Amino acid sequence: MQYQQELFTPLNAPELAGEQMGRESPGYWSDVWRSLKKNRLALSGILIIIFLGIMAGIGPHLSGSAYDAQNLSLANRPPGGGYWFGTDSLGRDLFSRVWIGARISLTIGLFTSFICFFIGVLYGSVSAFIGGRVDDIMMRIVEVFYGIPFMLYVIVMMMALDTGLRAILIALGMVYWLDMARIVRGQVLSLKEQEFVLAARTLGAGTWRILTRHLIPNTMGPIIVTMTLLVPNAIFAEAFLSFLGLGVSAPMASWGSLASDGIQGLRSYPWQLFFPAFFISITMLAFNFLGDGLRDALDPRLRQ
Amino acid sequence: MLFKQRRFLGLVCIVSVMALILTGCGGPSGPKETAGQQIIRYNASAEPQTLDPGMATGIPEMTIINAMFEGLTRYNNKNEPAPGIAESWTISPDGLTYTFKLRDARWSNGDPVTAQGFVDGWLRALDPKLASEYAYQLYYIKGAEEYNTGKGSDKDVAAKALDDKTLQVILKAPSPQFLGLTSFQTLFPVNSKVVSAHPDWIASPENYIGNGPFKMVSWDHNQVIKCVKNPNYWDAANVKLDELHFYLVDNNTTGFNMFKAGQLDIQYNVPIQEIAGLKGNPEFKIMPNMSSYFYRFNVTKKPFNDPRVRRALALAIDRQAIVRDVCKGEQLPAYAYIPFGVPEPGGGDFRKTGGDFFREDLDQARELLAGAGYPDGKGFPAVSIMYNNNDQHKAIAEAIQAMWKKNLNINVTLQNKEWQTYLNDMQNLNYDIVRASWTPDYMDAMTFADMFVTDGGNNLTGWSNKEYDRLIDAAKSTDAGNPKARVEDMHRSESILMEEMPIMPVYFYTQPILIKSSLKNVIIPPFGLEAEFKWAYVE
Repeated sequence: MQYQQELFTPLNAPELAGEQMGRESPGYWSDVWRSLKKNRLALSGILIIIFLGIMAGIGPHLSGSAYDAQNLSLANRPPGGGYWFGTDSLGRDLFSRVWIGARISLTIGLFTSFICFFIGVLYGSVSAFIGGRVDDIMMRIVEVFYGIPFMLYVIVMMMALDTGLRAILIALGMVYWLDMARIVRGQVLSLKEQEFVLAARTLGAGTWRILTRHLIPNTMGPIIVTMTLLVPNAIFAEAFLSFLGLGVSAPMASWGSLASDGIQGLRSYPWQLFFPAFFISITMLAFNFLGDGLRDALDPRLRQ
Repeated sequence: MLFKQRRFLGLVCIVSVMALILTGCGGPSGPKETAGQQIIRYNASAEPQTLDPGMATGIPEMTIINAMFEGLTRYNNKNEPAPGIAESWTISPDGLTYTFKLRDARWSNGDPVTAQGFVDGWLRALDPKLASEYAYQLYYIKGAEEYNTGKGSDKDVAAKALDDKTLQVILKAPSPQFLGLTSFQTLFPVNSKVVSAHPDWIASPENYIGNGPFKMVSWDHNQVIKCVKNPNYWDAANVKLDELHFYLVDNNTTGFNMFKAGQLDIQYNVPIQEIAGLKGNPEFKIMPNMSSYFYRFNVTKKPFNDPRVRRALALAIDRQAIVRDVCKGEQLPAYAYIPFGVPEPGGGDFRKTGGDFFREDLDQARELLAGAGYPDGKGFPAVSIMYNNNDQHKAIAEAIQAMWKKNLNINVTLQNKEWQTYLNDMQNLNYDIVRASWTPDYMDAMTFADMFVTDGGNNLTGWSNKEYDRLIDAAKSTDAGNPKARVEDMHRSESILMEEMPIMPVYFYTQPILIKSSLKNVIIPPFGLEAEFKWAYVE
């Protein structure tokens, strides 16, 4: 077979257009965001949370009366007039109080979830990665904590720490990390046998580096879902504590303490219970929708 | 007696409230067929800690025990001790020796009630092994305190059964209040045969043998205690009720809803927030109550070691607004410590004779505060008001907190505590300001006055005043036999108390209750008991 030189022309294009990417390849997070956007419930959850966040910031200043300004002669006014949500038994503006309550409740929710993030993730991953007897001991400790009725534990802790916002944060943070620790441990146990860990080790990475650079980032999905679902749990726990009178100290308000005050006059002044209860409910729903959506979006097996 | 209002605790209550909201009715049991029968269903508001007359301390417990027991005397509808098991008594001229003549009375199991039964009951309450908190109610009797504190023996307690029907008691010092105390639970008799045969007699309805108008037939814990008329009661002819049910619903709102739904005939504690809506309702009544609501200052601590600060704070709150807009139960603003209704020798009223000791005055309050070194509240230390967990206490504390802020520009924080922690902290002076109240143990100003003697068990402020101690001591000893001088001592002691103000009076209680109009002769006494059912009937 002979070559005919003239049949061939040299190609001058420096790059091959066909090999170029049509668009940037979707990264992990943009992929998550894309599938989250398709989930209407999760999206509405995000919008509600943003709305609540904004109102928690500006809400207390909108009505013109401070959350703790009493006007005893205007007690128990129904919604309307100068008081959009009515007034409570001491003549305080319920609108301002509901949004101050939002501030407290959301702070408690987010803060608790972050405390759990730090304790739980560290505890779970250390336990799983070191393994052996250390793992045994650390997990038995978690199980002992599991064995104690949760509310009892929180109440005892609040007694020791004195009531108040700080005590609630510490008490809730100290009990809610258990789930997080277990989830992270499970993830790390399965990940640590994989080749990339072996590779990292072979290249000389230490335990700490492998944990923080390789293992924890790979467990981020379940961690974020757990954190999201923990926020409403913490808010609800605080509401429950306030209901028992162990919440934030008066005149500060949280949704729980507002509901607790409101139920006293349920028959005569139903709005005093309605508004805090309503906002507790929609916050619960919003965070749960978001958590569910995130779980779907973060799970590679569920992604199309 | 500490005025205790229990608060519900636990998921159960919330669940029951939820159930109530969801179903529109609720409570432990459905409506009962009551037509034609004489039944009263009363909400005692809490599961009793104990129904042991020697041990019980709470007013709800006392109410239940009183229906099934009777002491030497029983308070009548005029709030006077009237003959109970004792049909008559004599008091020696020196006021020391009481001789009670007992009537023919029987226990609910048919055994006779003897003088020895009283001695047994009293010695049992005093027994250091029983460790009854209320043993001190018997300390008026010679030798009682020694026996209770382990310094003496039971043989030296000067209560003797001279025969089956005669009881002789010798007191340490003349004590006009002793007669009234014989109607008090700690001084009830016990049936020794039953107590020794059944050590757990308190817990079982069939062995809970009393000598009162009613006897227990069942006790469903946390739900209801059912009593029926006791046919062996000496005055059974005057007991018209067939049955008396004590419901044990501790949530006021639940109780209120049960009353509205016709499942209760009396709800003693009315939720404050519902009071405004009940005005004009014939089933809603505001009964007098001889208790005092006040704040204690911890005088061992800065800034309350300065009487000017204490007075300034007391002058700077609006008591009218508190009773009108916060409590709403027609309570009376208190400008003195001892409430209305305490009788004086000669028929007067202790409070009316004593009058008010101060007035609210903002200018003077600011001046006093400036004089103490805190002009316009500057430099005032961080202090807190402690209260036990209760919505009304919380609301009042919040109102006072706002008034002090507005009027004196001082910031105080609020601390709520569980009942036991609250008691502990108060006893250890581990507080700045604490809300408190006192309800009399007997119908005499002394039950209020002797609290504040130096190191008194119920002083709890750290306050001490020699002249005050001297006056109380005189009233109990040298002036005890002279009613006029005795009451004068107490008036003077109260004026010292209100001059120095280790406590800040807030208001005098009332008792708003819900009671069916068909109920007659239910006595709602101003202290000691929530309700007396002996003479009650349904029309």
